[in-house]
Amino acid sequence: MVSSMAEGLIYDIKLSSVGPGTVTEPDMVHEPSDMDLAMKLHYLKVIYYFGKQAFEGLTTLKIKEPLFMVLNYFPVICGRFRRAESGRPYIKCNDCGVRFIEAKCEKTMDEWLEMTKENASLEKYLTPNQIIGPELGFSPTVLLQYTKFKCGGMSVGLSWAHVLGDAFSAAEFLNQLGKVVAGEKPNRPINLAHLKTKSTNSGSPLTNMEDPLSVKRVGPVGDNWMTVNNCKMEAFSFSVNATQLSHLQSKISSNGTDFSPFEALSAVIWQCIAKIRRESEPKVVTICKGMEQNKADGNNQLISVVKAAYPIVEANPGDLAVLMKNAALDQREKIENAIEKDNGVSDFIVYGANLTFTNLEEAKLYEFDYRGEKPSYVSYRVDGVGDEGAVLVLPGPPKNGGRTVMAILPENEVTELKSELKTEWFMI
Amino acid sequence: MPEMLPKYVKLGYQYPVDHILTFLFIPIMAAVSIQILKLGPEEILTIWNSLHFDFVQILCSSFLVTLIATVYFMSKPRSIYLVDYACYKPPITSRVPFSTFMEHSRLILKDNPKSVEFQMRILERSGLGEETSLPPAIHYIPPNPTMEAARGEAEAVIFSAIDSLMQKTSIKPKDIDILIVNCSLFSPTPSLSAMVVNKYKLRSNIKSFNLSGMGCSAGLISIDLARDLLQVHPNSNALVVSTEIITPNYYQGSERAMLLPNCLFRMGGAAILLSNKRGDRNRAKYKLVHVVRTHKGADDKAYKCVYEQEDPQGKVGINLSKDLMIIAGEALKSNITTIGPLVLPASEQLLFLFTLIGRKIFNPKWKPYIPDFKQAFEHFCIHAGGRAVIDELQKNLQLSAEHVEASRMTLHRFGNTSSSSLWYELSYIEAKGRMKNGDRIWQIAFGSGFKCNSAVWKCNRRIKTPNNGPWQDCIDRYPVHIPEIVKL
Repeated sequence: MVSSMAEGLIYDIKLSSVGPGTVTEPDMVHEPSDMDLAMKLHYLKVIYYFGKQAFEGLTTLKIKEPLFMVLNYFPVICGRFRRAESGRPYIKCNDCGVRFIEAKCEKTMDEWLEMTKENASLEKYLTPNQIIGPELGFSPTVLLQYTKFKCGGMSVGLSWAHVLGDAFSAAEFLNQLGKVVAGEKPNRPINLAHLKTKSTNSGSPLTNMEDPLSVKRVGPVGDNWMTVNNCKMEAFSFSVNATQLSHLQSKISSNGTDFSPFEALSAVIWQCIAKIRRESEPKVVTICKGMEQNKADGNNQLISVVKAAYPIVEANPGDLAVLMKNAALDQREKIENAIEKDNGVSDFIVYGANLTFTNLEEAKLYEFDYRGEKPSYVSYRVDGVGDEGAVLVLPGPPKNGGRTVMAILPENEVTELKSELKTEWFMI
Repeated sequence: MPEMLPKYVKLGYQYPVDHILTFLFIPIMAAVSIQILKLGPEEILTIWNSLHFDFVQILCSSFLVTLIATVYFMSKPRSIYLVDYACYKPPITSRVPFSTFMEHSRLILKDNPKSVEFQMRILERSGLGEETSLPPAIHYIPPNPTMEAARGEAEAVIFSAIDSLMQKTSIKPKDIDILIVNCSLFSPTPSLSAMVVNKYKLRSNIKSFNLSGMGCSAGLISIDLARDLLQVHPNSNALVVSTEIITPNYYQGSERAMLLPNCLFRMGGAAILLSNKRGDRNRAKYKLVHVVRTHKGADDKAYKCVYEQEDPQGKVGINLSKDLMIIAGEALKSNITTIGPLVLPASEQLLFLFTLIGRKIFNPKWKPYIPDFKQAFEHFCIHAGGRAVIDELQKNLQLSAEHVEASRMTLHRFGNTSSSSLWYELSYIEAKGRMKNGDRIWQIAFGSGFKCNSAVWKCNRRIKTPNNGPWQDCIDRYPVHIPEIVKL
């Protein structure tokens, strides 16, 4: 989990588990939907950086206590995967719990943030990096790592299996934890899982349909739920403050159409990457967007593709943005059919099947409140991204009002992209 | 054969034999009364006057009567009362569901899949539930048993139980005269009893004792010791604390026979207040009637059947031998032989005697008569050592499911809490509202040595269903049906 290179950096690592405080009824199960299963090889990694006051004076037991209480409302994330007779995975809500990791860092939080500006991959030491597998029944789907810095600050690292839900579900979990810490009750019903029903086999599935553009069939990975890449992927992030953002938006807008920050940033980055990739420029991109209305747990993102009929390199970013805004084709039904074809047994990836742009602007990342303290910074990453790469547009720290962009790309593209963004677009 | 007689014939035999004195007394009194009535009043007066009551004679006779009465009352053992008791309720942060236990096991013993399989099979058949508790140090992968953590667990369990007891009995720390703490496997210096004296600032002339190494039956040994001390010290009370500290004793190796305790032993503790004070007579919950201790240590097999030792890798653990149930059965028989005459009604004792004589003289093939202990007791608290122990005792004593319900449910909810399990069971019976004034309770504990100890209590007053205690938030869910094998 932590390589020997960073052994001095992150030390005193202790593992335990935290489950629900009260017993879940026996034989409760949760059956992931088709969309959930499409995302099963991806993992969300979020790091919340808190200042000294948030966790001051708290013993480990005091930190665990609210978790025991909030997990009463999340029996699904405390469960473990099993496979039905058909091979389709489901979760048995057996109260096994989330993995709880305590660690210490020998740097202060400011020193650490400086280091990660140069080398974003260091952040993987602040989140647990366990995948689901090789034994499904003994792999936690959610892991938490609390790392204490030399200055007293604390980072809360969350590893969230995407099969459980999208970024909005993950943020919801921690926001509810914050509520419980403050002494309030979560506004959720206690038991959302249901008793296992006979699996409804949808008769004769459409076996002739091709896989949709937005997913890529991989594997089979069996019970090792991780993406195998042909090249090493590297993550780097940069912030765009409010002024830069509005400047960018006005630069791109044409014919009076306004673009959201997400559309503007995505269009720009799409073109930069096309320039880098030259012949193998990405003509098709996938766009993932959170659905405002659907507050339920699970994967509820709107996944669509955009096809460009002309070379991207010469295109006007404004035109690309228009494409993204108007010409996105909803892929959700096609993805569900693809999964249903063999009842959820096959393995797919969504992020990185094509160059993927994920709109997380509305994700309530900065609402995680621990004892009245909000995080000073939230860092976001997706693990298990395919070779085409992914770009996440996240909300920036509230006082800046801008956006944070996290790009996960093949490592040889990262330097070029950084310089491209710097010189052409004055970002970074 | 006695057990084949129809129920009413048996009742017809039992009632006269049990109340034989009454049955003899009534006819004699009747005969005397009839004689007196036949005589008539003048005759009675004549007989009365002929007795020649002399002043000296009256004085000597009354002196003799007073002397005999005084000797009788002075030599009668003091009555020992159990004022109240309190059991430790572990916090939700200590909860260990089966799945978590197995997952941790798998990670800790990753090189020994057979041992993990073994633990899984034990857990499935153990009779434990999903709410048992382990101390914080044992929740780590791998467990982190430091001395500080062990002391932390001891403080949490013992102080919590004593605080609860003090609140229930309104006793002040300065009023405690005798302190006995028993904890078999954790024995630091200064002792746990010194820890209690320090925390509660008990008097400097307190009589404190710390019993360690005496196994799961040490709870009743402490009660026995308290009883003996209370015979010697008039107008005193005794605080008895029974617990087992799990932290330092979690076996970290992979030998199967030594992994068994890990699956069964859980956090728990109880604090009990005993008194011989006259003032506590009315408010005490129970009166101690008998304590019977049986030690089979003279037999080598019994001595070695629960044995702490190092495994081939040098890891210390407790080895449970395969003969455990047989030895437990023998120890129980010994104990019953002593306690039977003390508690069984005359009818049962006679039947047992007749069958014994019959087997010796007439026909050795006669089945030995197992006395019906249900006649002697209303409630049974069998140490929740494991499902096998409870099954064995239920079979041997021919008890119904309701009689062993307290033991089974305690095993399910709290696991094997060693010496304090008897108190959780008693608490269950009270929480269910089944304890009535005058009920007799039999507590049976087994422990390493091999020992079988029994205590007999009698309920001293009406007991209201308690609104606090370890069962408070879950009693409505009990009794539960515990399947033979729980599918994990």
